Amino acid sequence: MKKSLFLSILVLFLTGFIAYPSSFALAAEPIVIGVPTSLGFLEGKESLKAVEMAVDEINAKGGVMVGSTKRPFKVESIDIRDAAPGVPVPEALLGIEKIILEEKPVAIVVGPFRSEALLAGMDIIAKYKVPMLGTIAMTPGSEAKIKKNPEKYKYVFRVSLNVIYWAKLLGGTMATLKNQFGFNKVYLMNQDVLWARGTADAMKNKYFLKTGWEVLGHDQYPTGSSDFSSALMKAKSKGAGVLFTCFDMPQSGVLVKQWKSMKVPALIAGFVSPMAGEVAWKTFERKIGGLMNAIFEIGNIPSEYYAPAKRFYDSYKNRYGKGIQSGHGPAPSYESVYILKEAIERAGSLDPDAIVTAIEKTDKMGVMGRIKFDKGHQVIYGINPGQTATGCFFQWTEDGKRKIVYPESLAEGEIVLPPWVKKVK
Amino acid sequence: MLLGTLIYGFVNSVILALVALGFNLTFGISGVANFAYGALYILAGFLSWVLFNSVGLPYVLAALFSVLLTAIAGALMYRFVLLRIRGMVLSEVIATFGIGLSILELFKYLGFIGFEYTLPVFIDSSVDIGQVVIDMQRVFIVTIGIAMAVFLWFFTHHTRTGLRFRGIAQDERTALSLGVNSDWVATLSVSFGAAYAAIAAIVILPLGTITVEHGYEVLINALAVCIVGGLGSTGGVVIASFMIGYAQTFTATYLESHWVMVVPLVAILAILAIKPSGLYGEQKELEERI
Repeated sequence: MKKSLFLSILVLFLTGFIAYPSSFALAAEPIVIGVPTSLGFLEGKESLKAVEMAVDEINAKGGVMVGSTKRPFKVESIDIRDAAPGVPVPEALLGIEKIILEEKPVAIVVGPFRSEALLAGMDIIAKYKVPMLGTIAMTPGSEAKIKKNPEKYKYVFRVSLNVIYWAKLLGGTMATLKNQFGFNKVYLMNQDVLWARGTADAMKNKYFLKTGWEVLGHDQYPTGSSDFSSALMKAKSKGAGVLFTCFDMPQSGVLVKQWKSMKVPALIAGFVSPMAGEVAWKTFERKIGGLMNAIFEIGNIPSEYYAPAKRFYDSYKNRYGKGIQSGHGPAPSYESVYILKEAIERAGSLDPDAIVTAIEKTDKMGVMGRIKFDKGHQVIYGINPGQTATGCFFQWTEDGKRKIVYPESLAEGEIVLPPWVKKVK
Repeated sequence: MLLGTLIYGFVNSVILALVALGFNLTFGISGVANFAYGALYILAGFLSWVLFNSVGLPYVLAALFSVLLTAIAGALMYRFVLLRIRGMVLSEVIATFGIGLSILELFKYLGFIGFEYTLPVFIDSSVDIGQVVIDMQRVFIVTIGIAMAVFLWFFTHHTRTGLRFRGIAQDERTALSLGVNSDWVATLSVSFGAAYAAIAAIVILPLGTITVEHGYEVLINALAVCIVGGLGSTGGVVIASFMIGYAQTFTATYLESHWVMVVPLVAILAILAIKPSGLYGEQKELEERI
């Protein structure tokens, strides 16, 4: 009896001793990370999950070393609804201000969904001096503001793709289509929001028209549109080889269904958000074979040739029981937490200016490739994850797999045209 | 191209009519502008999805159950909320809008966010009309739309309950004096309206995905059609659907798809300026003259 009592006390003591460092860290005052974004939309919801996953991983290892103290991260989120149709930008800004004032976050990650809200929200970020690692809104306008007034706007960073890198990714893919299949006639369709408008206009004026493509038409759809038959009829009658698409609204799935049902002999290549995730195959009744879709940041899709992206994707899937469905947001959101952790540890304090300076010096290998910021506080993207952060294009195969086809460094196979789309040469 | 525009414009018009018929029926009989209409539409969509995908019912059974459950939800909404405030127009609007918001936001809270919520098509093939290819689901929508409009006419002209509906719509006090229970008829009308919303959802939603935001669009479209056609007038609703539906399709084809969503709003403004009672809103027109 005495022996067993002694053993029990010993076990308790040892357990407490072993657990001491991490429990000490978790007992310390947490460092709050604010996540103000459109939580009612898939990209926002999954980005928050990715942030929570990174925070749990870091806390499980004891937390963040601030000077000589280890402190845990804590996530506070708010739905600013800026992605919802009809929600005015000032309402979204109220949400950002609310979380800053009420939760006192050391930094914000993910941030606004719409570029309109990001640009307007930069003044709030500057006013309260809270470093922000944005992962969804894509306008390069934020970089221009930072370069013009770095002292004021230096707190804003973007870890995800911006429209310029996005256009480069698209341009590279279109060049591949032209070289391989001879396509030179394109019809553009995009959602009428800043990033998609900017992308389509940039692609039309700075790529297609300058590289020998014939632009047959360009239709823009307000958020919420759910009938694309007119544009598809025009594209079909004018003989388009490629349908260039840019949509992040759930209703854009209708576009693909109509493309199939109307038998439009043109390859869809661009971004249609409902097509990005692995569940799309089942959702769209196994009828999306041949469709080419972009993934803004690897990690949102597993890559055979870049192990960290696959590890992150698989961990996310194991944790939440379902793979990432959005093509934009979760991987950079996860990465942002680690960027912040390392910056705080390098800065040795929670002073926002010190954190900003430390974030600027980031140079690490992450789930999307190598992470480095340029002078506009934009992560540098390219076509090789060993050198830069990387996005990719994949194609749905006829047996329901997502096969990365661009860039070459990540390509898992060749682009295959659907049977009803014929090559030009 | 023109043939395609005419065909897809026709389908678009029938979709608008289908969406607006239930809203119009409820308003015409009970006088309640049911601002929870879009939410009931989405409720039916998600119910079908859950019954089919999670419960594992055969799709036809899942669809029937969701129509039934949505109709019951409509009836309960009237008996427990609207009955107490009936006749107070502003309160009715606030209450129904509040219920609608609650339903839609509840779905968001429960995690119905994403792209995987879609219903299967009933007939998975397409047909050629001239040079225009159209999928059978759209043909099915047109068939159901016409059937629903004909059924509504038959029901309100040739059944005892339907005649009671019309009696209440024409003069509630007189109908009461003849023994028609107006509260019961109003309950039925809200319930029927909800069932129409559910049927519309089940035939239209397979074209795309089910999203909470779509509920607001459905409400705006239903409102636009009913205001232009004349609140309470079934004929007006059908004519307004075709006017707005074709205007949208021609705008997308020959002007800019960018302006499509403006069409219903311009139609509302125009009709309010020219004929505030709507094209066939005869009762309201009479009130305005008085």
